[in-house]
Amino acid sequence: MSGSILSFIVGASSLFLAYYLAAVGHGLMEKSGILNLAIDGVFTLGVAIAFAVSVYTLSVPMAILATSIIAALFGLMLAFITTKLPISHGAAGLSTMFLGYGLAALVGLPAKVVENKRLISGSEGLAIIQPSLGYMWVWFYVAVFIVAVSIWYLIEKTKIGAAIRAAGENPASAEALGVNVLAVRLFASGVGYALIGIGAAIFELAYSPVWSQGKGMGYGWIAFAISLSAGRHPILTLVPAMIFAALEKFRFIIESTYNVPTDLGKMLPFVAAIAAMIIFMVTPLKRKLAPPKSLGKIYFREERTV
Amino acid sequence: MVIVRRVKPLPYWIIPIIALLAGIAVSMIILYILAGASPAAVFSAIAYGFTRPGVIAKIFIALTIVGIALLVSFKGSIWNIGGEGQITFGMMAAAWVALFTMLPYINPGLAQASMIILAMIAGGFWALLAALPRAYLGLDEVPVTLIMNYIAYYIVDLLVYGPWRGKSTYNYPRTDTIPSQAMFPQIPGTTMTWDGLFLLIITFIGVWYLLRNTSIGLRIKILGNNPNLLRSSGINVPLTIILALTISGLIAGSVGALYLGGDVYHIGYPIESQTANYGYTGILVAWLSMLELIAVPLAAYIVSALYEAGIKYQTLVGGNLGGMLASGTSAIVDIFIGSILLLYTILITFSEYKIKIIIER
Amino acid sequence: MAAEADNAKPTFLSPPQEGKQPIVSLRGITKRFPGVIALDHIDLDIYPGTVHALLGENGAGKSTLVKVLYGIYTPDEGEIIINGKPTRLTSPAEAINMGIVMVSQSPQIIDRLTVAENIILGLKKYKYFVPVTKVYKTIREESKKVGIKIEPGIEVWRLSYTQKQLVEILRAILLGAKVLLLDEAITYLPIEEKQRFYKFIRKFADEGGTVVLITHKIYEAMDVADKITVLRRGKVAGHLDRKEATIEKIRKLMFGERSAEITYERLPTATPEDKTILEVKDLWVMGDFGGYAVQDVSLEVKKGEVLGIAGVAGNGQKELIQAIMRLRPVVKGRIIYNGEDITRKSTYYLRVNGVGYIPDLPAKYGVSIENTILENIAVLPVYSRGIIDWNKLRELTLKLIKEFEIKTPSPDTPVKFLSGGNIMKVLVARELTVATNLLVAYNPTRALDEATAIKVRKIIKDKVLKDKVSAIIASEDLDEIFQISDRIAVMNSGKIVGVFPADKAKREEIEHLMVM
Repeated sequence: MSGSILSFIVGASSLFLAYYLAAVGHGLMEKSGILNLAIDGVFTLGVAIAFAVSVYTLSVPMAILATSIIAALFGLMLAFITTKLPISHGAAGLSTMFLGYGLAALVGLPAKVVENKRLISGSEGLAIIQPSLGYMWVWFYVAVFIVAVSIWYLIEKTKIGAAIRAAGENPASAEALGVNVLAVRLFASGVGYALIGIGAAIFELAYSPVWSQGKGMGYGWIAFAISLSAGRHPILTLVPAMIFAALEKFRFIIESTYNVPTDLGKMLPFVAAIAAMIIFMVTPLKRKLAPPKSLGKIYFREERTV
Repeated sequence: MVIVRRVKPLPYWIIPIIALLAGIAVSMIILYILAGASPAAVFSAIAYGFTRPGVIAKIFIALTIVGIALLVSFKGSIWNIGGEGQITFGMMAAAWVALFTMLPYINPGLAQASMIILAMIAGGFWALLAALPRAYLGLDEVPVTLIMNYIAYYIVDLLVYGPWRGKSTYNYPRTDTIPSQAMFPQIPGTTMTWDGLFLLIITFIGVWYLLRNTSIGLRIKILGNNPNLLRSSGINVPLTIILALTISGLIAGSVGALYLGGDVYHIGYPIESQTANYGYTGILVAWLSMLELIAVPLAAYIVSALYEAGIKYQTLVGGNLGGMLASGTSAIVDIFIGSILLLYTILITFSEYKIKIIIER
Repeated sequence: MAAEADNAKPTFLSPPQEGKQPIVSLRGITKRFPGVIALDHIDLDIYPGTVHALLGENGAGKSTLVKVLYGIYTPDEGEIIINGKPTRLTSPAEAINMGIVMVSQSPQIIDRLTVAENIILGLKKYKYFVPVTKVYKTIREESKKVGIKIEPGIEVWRLSYTQKQLVEILRAILLGAKVLLLDEAITYLPIEEKQRFYKFIRKFADEGGTVVLITHKIYEAMDVADKITVLRRGKVAGHLDRKEATIEKIRKLMFGERSAEITYERLPTATPEDKTILEVKDLWVMGDFGGYAVQDVSLEVKKGEVLGIAGVAGNGQKELIQAIMRLRPVVKGRIIYNGEDITRKSTYYLRVNGVGYIPDLPAKYGVSIENTILENIAVLPVYSRGIIDWNKLRELTLKLIKEFEIKTPSPDTPVKFLSGGNIMKVLVARELTVATNLLVAYNPTRALDEATAIKVRKIIKDKVLKDKVSAIIASEDLDEIFQISDRIAVMNSGKIVGVFPADKAKREEIEHLMVM
């Protein structure tokens, strides 16, 4: 019995890590006031890039690095245009989402051809992470918890955290108080999207190392819902991330044990995501962990020097 | 360098055109770099799309109606990204009438009308579900409507794989083809149907009247600009939000009926790969029209041409990219939509503002 | 009361400043916005160790000038000279670097952050990754020196308006301010709190600092300034030394030929009828942050009178007005309008039954600036139910444009193209037309230039006198309350602490009740 619990936890852990990193990165960016609707597109693109780089270089570190850098670039771009120009965050995010989907296909498909050729000829298709930590799984969770606490400390206790939160609450006041809102948002978005990128890479390389067009779509939105339902709190985000990861694992078990149709199973995480968000909005959580007051608000001061 | 408000804003139609051209250019560059697609091939595909009104007619009808549907909710600043789900639900309702009632055999005209009406109700219902958390809890409608697109797909998949599986399909997962009495009559020489054309005209007039002459229309417009004014005027803001999104869903749902009855005549499995993505492409149409009803058909025509270009490119090129794209159109169309919309979003700033260089002394 | 201060001694006098170099000079500063020249070749010298008042009515350009000094706006022409060197200021951060710090009327500090977090954001010597607690000691030390008691770890939303302004001043000092720009920062404080700030301003100047006091209240300048510069319509109307300044001279400079119109004299007192239009009984209303904003308030407004509600910002007036308009839920108590218990009814009921509403921040809550004048009028449910009769509404709008002298090319002009004063006129015109029984208002003339403000108050009072409409008007501007009210209720900490007939009320007593 304990053996299967272990494999269960280890099995769930790579998805948990992927969800957690994507969600906490997303939350960090939104704390600085930028509404992030591009997450699913860049996540999908990240999955494709991780796949492609792993196929071409057969190196996991390279894949993770490339994915996080490119994702970070998207973050920087979004932060820049939404802060320097009076444009709608939602429009910028959604259009980037579509772009991400399209780019993902263009990046992944050629790599798929290469992988297929290799597999046919019997050699290794791509490099992956083996999520078999064995008895190390305790340390894995300890490490993740330490990461969570560090991010929490950064946001809640340091000056830059105060600056990020100030930019999210009221960028005009933040500016008057001496914050360089652009710099702070670039930092939050760059780091935030780098985390999203790493999450996407882990998703692809550790959780399910197969790739086909569209892989990853929808998972970004699950991460969005995870972050929102935890009030963007770096430590609390661990909870829904774990729940959703476990849900995926349970889903396969229930489907095979009780003969539940796969489509019903596929629906489950999405229904749960909406439920989680609704629960957050209905309970006192919404007040205690209120969203940044200026989230998504267009910030533009006439007569600002660029 | 300083960003300064223009004394006189640029004419409103300049930016969409620039964004369109720039977006296409950027897309061509992306396609060239990542997929080795020769700009010439892409260009000829686009030219094809623009010069075949008969071919793109059915896409044009669908996108115009979806564009109008989204315009209604966008005017209220309610971002209905759930067009896909509403269309899917509409398609489901229409399929029920066509396949699982006797209506087509009793009265084809009534059957087709019922397909459309029930599709609208289904689409409206699906939108209503998303509107409620937005109206009463303030939950952002974008993730909700988007996630509900996935849920809608899986609900229909569930039906098609199971109870709705066709009797005459050799156990292949898809529905039967709808009876010929339920098929919408084509307008000869084009790909569109009389039902589609009729629906488009009615929708256009209806929404025009709604926005111009009814209090609901005015309230939706003001909702989009300043909901506080509605509140202090005593108007029920949650109700207005619900109406904006539900009406939008109603109209979008009808496209599901058109798609089933006038285009594919059956539902395949999984529906995610059969969908024409009108729900997402419609967003581009609504935005390009700058939320002006009159401009929607024009924007729809342009986007239909691009959409067809995406399809055409596959057949023109074959080879690497063309052969590999599983759900063919969507990657290229996504690149188009993404580039054009992103550039549009950025460039629209410059209709109101300009960049001024101040020389340092 | 302003008239009394005419020949009174100024509260403080500064040592002579001859022979010193100006610390900040402006030469030829010009700033244009589409359609208006906000600043027209301004020349100004500010000397260290002085309190320099910048007087002007709303719209004269004072705020724009201050924003130029603070790096928020870039001047189109002219230069800023700081300590003898021409300087270009491109952001508040740069201004702060030069020792210029601004405190404005609404606190800049962010509610959700703590005092320490707000302060540390501007202190360059703390690097980005240090814990905020590192600044606690410095804050405690400095606040003791200035005479304030504020806990660094407290979240700003828990503080009162006065405390927030104190934190703003503390912040300025900790930022090493040499020039303090006070942009109407103390204008809305009650007199006792104001005195505290006067003392501090004086001390700051005497110790060599410089204060630029921007205000539209003449007596503020007379109370504490050494030098006075008056702006009118974007130009410098005149410079005066305090010694030679009189109220009359200043008024002439501020208003030019229109100074005769501008009077704070009370408008005629109305004689109310015996009928009660609005009654508030034992009302309790929650505030935004938990806790009761309105505590056991009982009030009555009779037909044909104006009840003014005086109080410092944040003492529950906003919540009271919102509760009356049913925009905020009532926890305990009752509201009775025209005989009907409306405690559980909606805003809609009031709006279709003769109640007009002028909210605080009208541009944000009272109009939709992207929509046209016509649409802003049509939106009211009395005018649009089901199908809209645009012809009738257009006629009405044209009539209102004429009657209220609203400057606009047409009723189809989007409201955003109107000047602030004309936007207000649209709002007042609309609301007075639907207010057949009761007008509910909060700060109805804030941000209007003096002449328009007085006109608006006159129009409202006329309606009360002639048509026997009732009005309940809350305002943070005591001058306004005195001018327009028939009875004055004073609100403090959510309670009504006194009700007085306006013609017999003593200003000092009211101001005392506002603070105690």
